[in-house]
This record gives sequence, C-alpha cells and structure tokens, in this order.
Amino acid sequence: MSINFKQIEDKLKTEARKMLEEGKVSLVLAYRKGYDENHPLPYVAKCDSDVDHIVFNEFCTANMARYLVRYPRGTKIAIAVKAADSRAVIQLIQEDKVKRADLIILGLPVYGMKNFKTGELIDSKTTCGFYNPVLYDILLGEEVHGQPVVSPYDVLADYEAMDKEARFAFWKKEFDRCIRCYACRKACPMCYCDPCFIDQNKPKWGEKSPESSGNLMYHLTRFHHLAGRCIDCGECSRACPVDIPLYLFHKKVAKECEEMFGQQAGMSIDDKPALVNFRVDDSDKILA
Amino acid sequence: MSFEPKILGIACNWCTYTGADLAGTTRLQYPQNLRVVRVMCSSRINPSFIFRAFQLGADGVLVGGCHPGDCHYNTGNLYARRRLAVTKKILEFSGMEPGRFRVEWISASEGNKFAEVVTEFTAQIKALGPQTKFKIQPESTLEKI
Repeated sequence: MSINFKQIEDKLKTEARKMLEEGKVSLVLAYRKGYDENHPLPYVAKCDSDVDHIVFNEFCTANMARYLVRYPRGTKIAIAVKAADSRAVIQLIQEDKVKRADLIILGLPVYGMKNFKTGELIDSKTTCGFYNPVLYDILLGEEVHGQPVVSPYDVLADYEAMDKEARFAFWKKEFDRCIRCYACRKACPMCYCDPCFIDQNKPKWGEKSPESSGNLMYHLTRFHHLAGRCIDCGECSRACPVDIPLYLFHKKVAKECEEMFGQQAGMSIDDKPALVNFRVDDSDKILA
Repeated sequence: MSFEPKILGIACNWCTYTGADLAGTTRLQYPQNLRVVRVMCSSRINPSFIFRAFQLGADGVLVGGCHPGDCHYNTGNLYARRRLAVTKKILEFSGMEPGRFRVEWISASEGNKFAEVVTEFTAQIKALGPQTKFKIQPESTLEKI
C-alpha cells in the first residue's frame, strides 16, 4: 500500500477553496508546481483562483511552517503540514510567534517522501520518525498505520562511535565547504531572528566570509540556538547547495536534549521550550 | 619552555568572583593561567562567548556560578545549567576535547574550593596541551583587525 498523493491533493484543493471562499482564512500555505513535477515550490494561495495551482506529491518536502512568521500577527492562515511540519507549528505556538486561534492546520499523513535533488527516500534519515501530524484541525487522508517505526537517532550511531579527532576532521571538512549562502537559515522554520547573530556587527560574533573560523562559529552557534527547538524536518540539509549533513548535528543535539530534559521539541502546545525552562531537580550530572 | 595555557574564567559576581576574592585575601596560591571575567550572573553567559574564546586562542574555559538554589537572582543558574550542558555536548560532538570546558558551582565562602578547582583545571589543560582545533590560524583575516 502506498499513499495516494492525487487524492490528498484533491482534498487539499477542496478544503483550500472552501476556506478561501468562506473567508475563514486569507492565506493557504501549500505547494505549487515548479519547473517540472519533481520540483514543487512553496506556494501561498490568496484567492480561490490560486487554488488550481496547488499540487501535492512525494517531492513536496518543504516545511511550510517557515512562512508563518512572515505575516503580521492576527492574519488567518491555513497551513498544509506533514508530521515534522506540524511539530514546527507547535513549536512556533509555544514560542508565541503565532496564535493557535489564527491557524487552521491541514494535516497530511504521508510517508515515502523523496528528496527532490537525489530522489532518495527521506523517511528514515532526516525526518523525526512520525508519519501522522501531531496537531491538526482537518486530516486530509487516512492516518498512517503499520509503517516501520524507526528511531530518528539511529543514523547517529556511526558518528557517535567515531574518535573525537576523526569527528573533528569530519566536521571541519564539511563546514569548510560551506559557502555561507544561509539557505539553512532561510529554510528553517525556527530561524526567525532579525537580525541573525551572524549578521550583527556589534558585537561581531564571527567572520562573515566563507572561511573555516566563521563557518564553525556560525554553524555551532546555530546548533545551539536550535537546541531543544529543532523538530527534525531536515530542511536545512535539503536546502544546502553543497549538501552539508547539518541534520546529523541537529539530531545529536535533539537527542541530548531529550535525554537531559526529558522533552521532545514540538510535541504539545502546553510545553515550554527546554532551554527557556528549568527544573529545580535537574541533575548536575548533565554538566559532567 | 614549558606550556603555559591560557584559561578564560567567567565568574559570577555574587559567588565565584567573591570566592576568588576570598582566595586572594586568604593568600591561597593558585596558578596564574586563569584570566577572570566577571559577569553579573552565570546565565549572562552567551554560549557564543565560549566558542569565541576557543577561536581566539583560549586553551580552556572555566565557568563559575552560584550553587543551584543560591542564585542572587533566584533562577539564573538553573537556566545556565541547562544551557551550558548543551554547550558542552555541542563542543563534544564537534570533536573538541570535553575536558577543556568546565562548569563549577563555587559559593562566596569557598575560597579553598576556588583555588583547588583552578589548580586542578590548569593541570588538566596542561596535560591536554595547546588547543589548536578551534583556534584561528595566523593567516586568517581576523589577525589584522
């Protein structure tokens, strides 16, 4: 059995058209066709004639939660979310960037999504291991059951087993390829700071030219800023033009946060992000 | 010449810095490799300070704060504890030796502990040798600034 993407697309169009016609929402965040079927683009439908452009297929990997923070507060938005994207929406609600009441969340229960660059399946590698959206108002399609449950942290095993010299060499090689296009930052639903720390001149946190030292500073600090917030959608590594496996580091930090603080990012709108919260009985062992 | 490490110490004004003061007034000897920066609270420490210190040539970073529950601002060090724990994990996964970064809770009355921690940490850094992984190399543009 596989997912019927055409059916989901039809349902998405029907719902989008209905909501735009009724005036319940002013925007629908979904996908449209790119230069061919395999390269869909993020799309904002603003009126019911726009709805015809909406597509949904296995290459629609973009995380539409990225675009929520671009609109003024109070804008009524309907957003199409996959499992990881729904966690991003929850995380944004936790951080009070969007209001739950302003959103209509259209859940897309899917598996078998493919990376549009390489065509490989992304389920086991860069997604959080969920198939059904965590939070939704309307579920488009059937809930996914019976798919193999994979731990999102399995891919880390090889890198955790590495000796620290080898790991440093690995990351240095990867970060040195960075051309500082900031596509990772642009694709990330959680990266909404204006200005970003790396764009500041006073204090100047790191070099802005693409050289080792600045790249290291930029990436390590970004991993830190996303600690306890990264929802493991893997968009950063798919957006990367030089294919740096950023998702590995994000996964590692997410794993450590889950072990230390006992909380996964974006699972409930009542949680507080792990790093703006504390427990008096946090153990000092976490610092060892 | 033997290797003398440069160690950045970031100390909270109310506990560790006062503890360092006490170590001084009680004439305790401890290595002079520590350069102390005073901050108002351990939660003032932006993790980028630590990454940046390593880039600018620190061989080790020691962060001192009040004991959990004794913070002058009640909860500052409880946030700092979580944040610095993440910093440590990030340094570790990026390939930095975990021993180069340390967080200690030292209260204002623990001059002895301050001297002990600094002695121990300096010895540890000496054993690890110079930090070259994060350090910006001389040909880099940053040296010109």
